[in-house]
Amino acid sequence: MSFLQIESLARRYGPTTVFEQVGFTMEKGEFVCIVGHSGCGKTTILNILAGLDAASAGTVVMDNREVAGPSLDRGVVFQGHALMPWLSAMSNIAFAVKSRWPHWNRIQVQTHCQKFIDLVGLTGAEHKKPAELSGGMKQRVGIARAFAIQPKMLLLDEPFGALDALTRGTIQDELLRICEATRQTVFMITHDVDEAILLADKILLMSNGPNACIAEIVENTIAKPRDRHSIHHDEQYYRIRNHLVDFLVNRSKLYQSGELRRPAQPPYVRPGLHGVASARIVNLRH
Amino acid sequence: MKLESLKAAVLSLLFLGLFLGIWHLATLPKGEAQSAHDEYAKLLGKGTKKSEGFPSLAQMGEAAAAQLKDPLYDRGPNDKGIAIQLGHSLGRVAAGYALAMLFAVPLGFLIGMSPLLHSALNPFIQVLKPISPLAWMPLALYTIKDSSVSGVFVIFICSVWPMLINTAFGVASVRREWLNVARTLEVTPFRKAFAVILPAAAPTILTGMRISIGIAWLVIVAAEMLVGGTGIGYFVWNEWNNLNLTNVIFAILVIGVVGMLLDFAIGRLQKAVTYIE
Amino acid sequence: MHCDCGQHHSQEEHDAGILQASVMRALFPQDRLRRRFLRAVGASTAAAAVSSFFPFGALEALAQAKAKPEKPELKIGFIPITCATPLIMADPLGFYREQGLKVALIKTAGWALIRDKMLNKEHDASHFLSPMPLAISLGLGSAVQPMRVMTVQNVNGQAITLAAKHKDKRDPRQWKGFRFAVPFDYSMHNFLLRYYVAEHGLDPDTDIQIRVTPPPEMVANLRAGNIDGFLGPDPFNQRAVYDEIGFIHVLSKELWDGHPCCAFGISEAFIKENPNTFAALYRAVLTAARMAREAKNRPLIAKVISPPNYLNQPETVVEQVLTGKFADGLGSVKQVPDRADFDPFPWHSMAVWILTQMKRWGYLKGDVGYRQIAEQVFLVTDARKHMAQLEMKAPASSYTRFKVMGKEFDPTQPEKYLASFAIKKAA
Repeated sequence: MSFLQIESLARRYGPTTVFEQVGFTMEKGEFVCIVGHSGCGKTTILNILAGLDAASAGTVVMDNREVAGPSLDRGVVFQGHALMPWLSAMSNIAFAVKSRWPHWNRIQVQTHCQKFIDLVGLTGAEHKKPAELSGGMKQRVGIARAFAIQPKMLLLDEPFGALDALTRGTIQDELLRICEATRQTVFMITHDVDEAILLADKILLMSNGPNACIAEIVENTIAKPRDRHSIHHDEQYYRIRNHLVDFLVNRSKLYQSGELRRPAQPPYVRPGLHGVASARIVNLRH
Repeated sequence: MKLESLKAAVLSLLFLGLFLGIWHLATLPKGEAQSAHDEYAKLLGKGTKKSEGFPSLAQMGEAAAAQLKDPLYDRGPNDKGIAIQLGHSLGRVAAGYALAMLFAVPLGFLIGMSPLLHSALNPFIQVLKPISPLAWMPLALYTIKDSSVSGVFVIFICSVWPMLINTAFGVASVRREWLNVARTLEVTPFRKAFAVILPAAAPTILTGMRISIGIAWLVIVAAEMLVGGTGIGYFVWNEWNNLNLTNVIFAILVIGVVGMLLDFAIGRLQKAVTYIE
Repeated sequence: MHCDCGQHHSQEEHDAGILQASVMRALFPQDRLRRRFLRAVGASTAAAAVSSFFPFGALEALAQAKAKPEKPELKIGFIPITCATPLIMADPLGFYREQGLKVALIKTAGWALIRDKMLNKEHDASHFLSPMPLAISLGLGSAVQPMRVMTVQNVNGQAITLAAKHKDKRDPRQWKGFRFAVPFDYSMHNFLLRYYVAEHGLDPDTDIQIRVTPPPEMVANLRAGNIDGFLGPDPFNQRAVYDEIGFIHVLSKELWDGHPCCAFGISEAFIKENPNTFAALYRAVLTAARMAREAKNRPLIAKVISPPNYLNQPETVVEQVLTGKFADGLGSVKQVPDRADFDPFPWHSMAVWILTQMKRWGYLKGDVGYRQIAEQVFLVTDARKHMAQLEMKAPASSYTRFKVMGKEFDPTQPEKYLASFAIKKAA
């Protein structure tokens, strides 16, 4: 039994179907990215996983329990950091920590929070209010807040979308480091294919909405630990990259019209591997 | 920054000086002071200190000094010092305002969180909001029968609306994402209300409170003028009875200064809860 | 009726009757002789004869002086005008204290509030305009509540004041379109103004405008030119002269010498619940009235009622009103000693006149029991009793004829009087 099992997930608004027949699994410790154009429903899937939205059909089962609403088991890093502006960085994280462990005293909370502030590299800035922090710092606080509650699964909604390239790079490194250290299960939405290849173990490719579906599941066959500074030298890198870009540019829109058949189960592909896998779509199962 | 406030202060003083200058020139005595040369003139108060029309700066200063020198005197139910009068008025304002706050903030919370309640109660709010305190006063007096309690009620009913509407608006406008954060953290409704919604809506709520205190102070003066009793509004009316314009102007200035201080106090509070997004 | 045997107005009167009867029995111990004497001369004459050498009055006073007021702390409302002189002066001069009463005189913002605060019992007794207790007891312009007039506070003491610019328009026939102010609908001011202009051929409802305005605003409005004149209470007539914005056109005493203006009123309920307090109040107010009637006391009275706590007016203005030596606004100093007087007797004929005028102008409709209402509201018996105790002269009859602007009023023929007017409110 996989840690997270999603079956036949659909979301409809009246006559419009955003997506349907979405299904995939995640194992504990896996880092999964989902990639697709705007409007395909990626955020909706994340919201359903977070329990903030309800599916029109299908099931989400995590750790043998059906997901029916928001929970501390599933931490979220929102797209726009969502920090409470009247609280300092430390207090923002403490708010989450106190929600998780309400019986902890002040010292316990503070120590725990400090750990995660240090973890995201914000030591010294913990008493500043969000207005006094840069975009990157704010996002780090958001990440620290999500990690601090030690959730079973972390959901990240385009967490670096609003950041400049330099900051993004730095924080990606941090995230990579933390996830390696904590073996956190992560589900992340991103537009940045390079980011996906750097961070993810599996990349879900979603076709265009409405009536979107998961077209393929790309396995990231580049060896870990991965390093941002050198990953593009790996020979698998551009094969995977081209595959993803090709999907986004050409193939993603073909599923709506029916030119490409919607798969009953999205196939696992390994475009990184030389030869055979990049030419044809092979159905491999775990 | 300091230079800016200095510049503003200098400009303020210049305006004040200009205003006082105009007052002084406008109230210069016309012609020579008339002495009482016969009995008729004496009966008309010539040759004595008599307030004729708008007071001069000197007369104003004298009257102000006289009132401020002994602010706590008590010579009977209709003649008390300015501090006692202010004390009574402020007491009534405090009572009415506190009641309004206790009513407006929780109800505003509920209205902000429930669109159904908002639609249901909105017509009543819109109809009651524009009613003037002078219209409420007779009704209050008739049903409540006690003039002091009526005054407190009128302050309540007039100052409750800005606080109510602003609280509802503030609560309804709390950013979705903060509420979502609270949801994902399984925050209890009680904690959500106090730790997320209240601080988020606080600047808007305090704006409402600031508007309300202005209205409450305005209303008390009107209410006291109408009904009497001890208070600054009553003081204005009593001096008006004597056609003593000088004291009326002094009272108006006092009312203005106290109003400014009240607004300043709430303004400080507002500053304390304001955050930058 | 209010006593055990059911024949007297109050318990005091009943006790007084017993006292008289006991004295009679002592003088004429044999029943037969006593009864013959009484039958021969009549009970009241017998009592009068006996009381000429047996001081019943003093005895009663003694008996009652021991009766403590049930409610010594009282709130009395007043409007700061010279009409209320007796009830105001009783405070600084100690007349209330003398009677064991602790009175707070509450300056009230207007006649409507005076009425409301009496109706809701926030005040125990009040300064009223004489027509008000009649109106309130009849339920005109307010809820019905039996109100009583204990004494008339003042007679005369009003005036028609015109704006200075009208000094050449002294003939009322020139007043078409003028705007006048009066303090209240149910006031002698309203009725006298209407009477005055009607006598000069103007219809007060169509030819002039009458506005209800609080007295201080009358002066302010006159200055601003919003009104052309007012019939108002002093000291505001004199104040208009003092501020050099108007002149006194005619004193009200020249319209009807001895007309009532304001009254000291109380609710019937209060009288029932607090008879001793009621009596004490009577004594205090009558003592003040007695002192106020004497010309030599007027300057002192002016001095004590002018401060901010009471009238809040310049002392000279009040003095001119009370002493009758005043500037008239047209350059002369006039001497009219009875410009204002303080005869407390609440004549029933005054009440009847007021009722006829209320009916004349449509405030009161239908059949009016003139005598009945007058005698119910104006407490002549009580006034007489207390005046006698204080050795003040009270007239034998409570009805008398008098002249208003030269026309005689016969209180026994109210309807005929009413019908005799050419100008009245169209039915």
